[in-house]
Amino acid sequence: MKPLPHNLPSPHVRGVGPRGFPLRLQATEVRINPVEFNPDFVARMIPKVEWAALLEAADTLHLVEVPKGPIEGYEHDEKFLRQMHHVLLEVDVLEGTLQCPESGRLFPISRGIPNMLLSDEETET
Amino acid sequence: GNIFNEMQRLVNDGPESWLNAISVWKNLLELDAKKDKLCQRDANPLKRKVGENDVTNLKKLKTEQMQELQESRECQPEKQMEEERVEQGDFLMNREKSQEAFQNEVVKAADDPSQKDLTFRVSCRCSGAIAKTFTAQEVGRVIGIALMKQFGWKADLRNPNLEIFIHLNDIYSVVGIPVFRVPLASRAYIKTAGLRSTIAWAMASLAEIKAGAFVFDPMCGLGTILLEAAKEWPDVYYVGADVSDSQLLGAYDNLKAAGLQDKIELLKVSVTELPLPSESVDVIISDIPFGKKFKLGKDIKSILQEMERVLHVGGTIVLLLNNDHHRRLQDCEQSGIPSNSKGSPTDEPGIEKCLSPREKTDLSDTVSSSSKASSQGGLDKMPLVGSLAPVECYQVSLGRTEAFICKYRKSHSLGLEQACCCEPGSSPVGQLHSSEGGCTGPS
Repeated sequence: MKPLPHNLPSPHVRGVGPRGFPLRLQATEVRINPVEFNPDFVARMIPKVEWAALLEAADTLHLVEVPKGPIEGYEHDEKFLRQMHHVLLEVDVLEGTLQCPESGRLFPISRGIPNMLLSDEETET
Repeated sequence: GNIFNEMQRLVNDGPESWLNAISVWKNLLELDAKKDKLCQRDANPLKRKVGENDVTNLKKLKTEQMQELQESRECQPEKQMEEERVEQGDFLMNREKSQEAFQNEVVKAADDPSQKDLTFRVSCRCSGAIAKTFTAQEVGRVIGIALMKQFGWKADLRNPNLEIFIHLNDIYSVVGIPVFRVPLASRAYIKTAGLRSTIAWAMASLAEIKAGAFVFDPMCGLGTILLEAAKEWPDVYYVGADVSDSQLLGAYDNLKAAGLQDKIELLKVSVTELPLPSESVDVIISDIPFGKKFKLGKDIKSILQEMERVLHVGGTIVLLLNNDHHRRLQDCEQSGIPSNSKGSPTDEPGIEKCLSPREKTDLSDTVSSSSKASSQGGLDKMPLVGSLAPVECYQVSLGRTEAFICKYRKSHSLGLEQACCCEPGSSPVGQLHSSEGGCTGPS
């Protein structure tokens, strides 16, 4: 699971406040994957980035050289784009948890896939 | 009697076009063998008006080298013997075929000795009303005999050079030559297919995916739709979700096999409780479980509500629905508004859009036209869920089951719904235009 550009709000639990709290990321196993750099694609992601959530995730994952926010003329700033590329596309959390700051509920991340089902319901295959 | 004569005339009246088609086919095979780089083409549905019917023919082919070629021929044995040809514009542009060049080719083809040695087989499929009059074998035999008489080819049922392929049903008649020997839906890059790839591709192409978009499949299963989309539209952010561990693992395997694991993110979430902010998604494409292989835990309407919430205004949703879901959603659409339309869609010739991916071995993927929505003004359609306006709808056949590919667009945020005035009973002051966002003026 990569840190998504959007914050990851808690799935709605009926009766527990409005959506909007970004989930807190904790990682026990992280993998860095080289991914081909596509500046256009990264530039298009920038407007969608929820910076507070991203910076918090970057902090937890001990990532360095993470821009604090969009800079003027970022579309043509290769250094900025490469840093964002690294954060958004090359960091993969394989094992860890996401925690709802309001309810404290933990959602596990296992094999790179976060489990955010509220109930334990699983459909038959 | 009569129809058999028509069929024979099909073969005899225009031998040049048969030979043309065959020389094009041969050229395509040669190019394939040389592995030239061909220009890629999107397979776009083609519309033709022949007599009173719209007949379209689309052949979408993909090989491991991602060559896309298109060849089609259309005939109408019942009506006037109009023959139409579709030229592969892009593909042939390198070859600059002028009329004279064609004639020369034809002449050459006619004299070409290898043409005489061609072995062939006619494969025929009849369905609908025509199937009640003849069997496929009868049709095949008539055409086969005519071809033998006209061109001197020999029939070889087991391993022919050339396969002539005929499909007759209530809506169109197709005569063609399959260019590839594998089914259209076969993909080198998909390890385990869920939904048939051709349908997945068709859905993705309806969805208006643009570079930098956020495309989400909330019931992705094995990820077929996302895989097809990511191959065709790569500069896009894809996320897939499912409630089933085994499906997600299968999806992950597929992504890895296709080399797309960096392009597609997977989540285990329920479609009715999406951990996404409102209005954050540009495109939603999904195959709604039909209840045969997989069950739908939640009600279709609440699913659509959650999808609507996360979708941007102007964003599109493309869904594959079974009959029940489709009917249920249509009931929701039509409740409350007195119909302004001219009655049932079948009264009008209307605009029939056909997508018909063709397969050589499995012919069950046929799409019959059924555009009931926006082309007729959409004035009678209440927005479906909140602000989701139906845009278009196509009936597809998935082998034994029927299904519908339905496209919706979010026209505005729910908060503004009150300002838009489609109240049942009163004369509508504004109408939700079903293919664009926003209200139009008084009708």
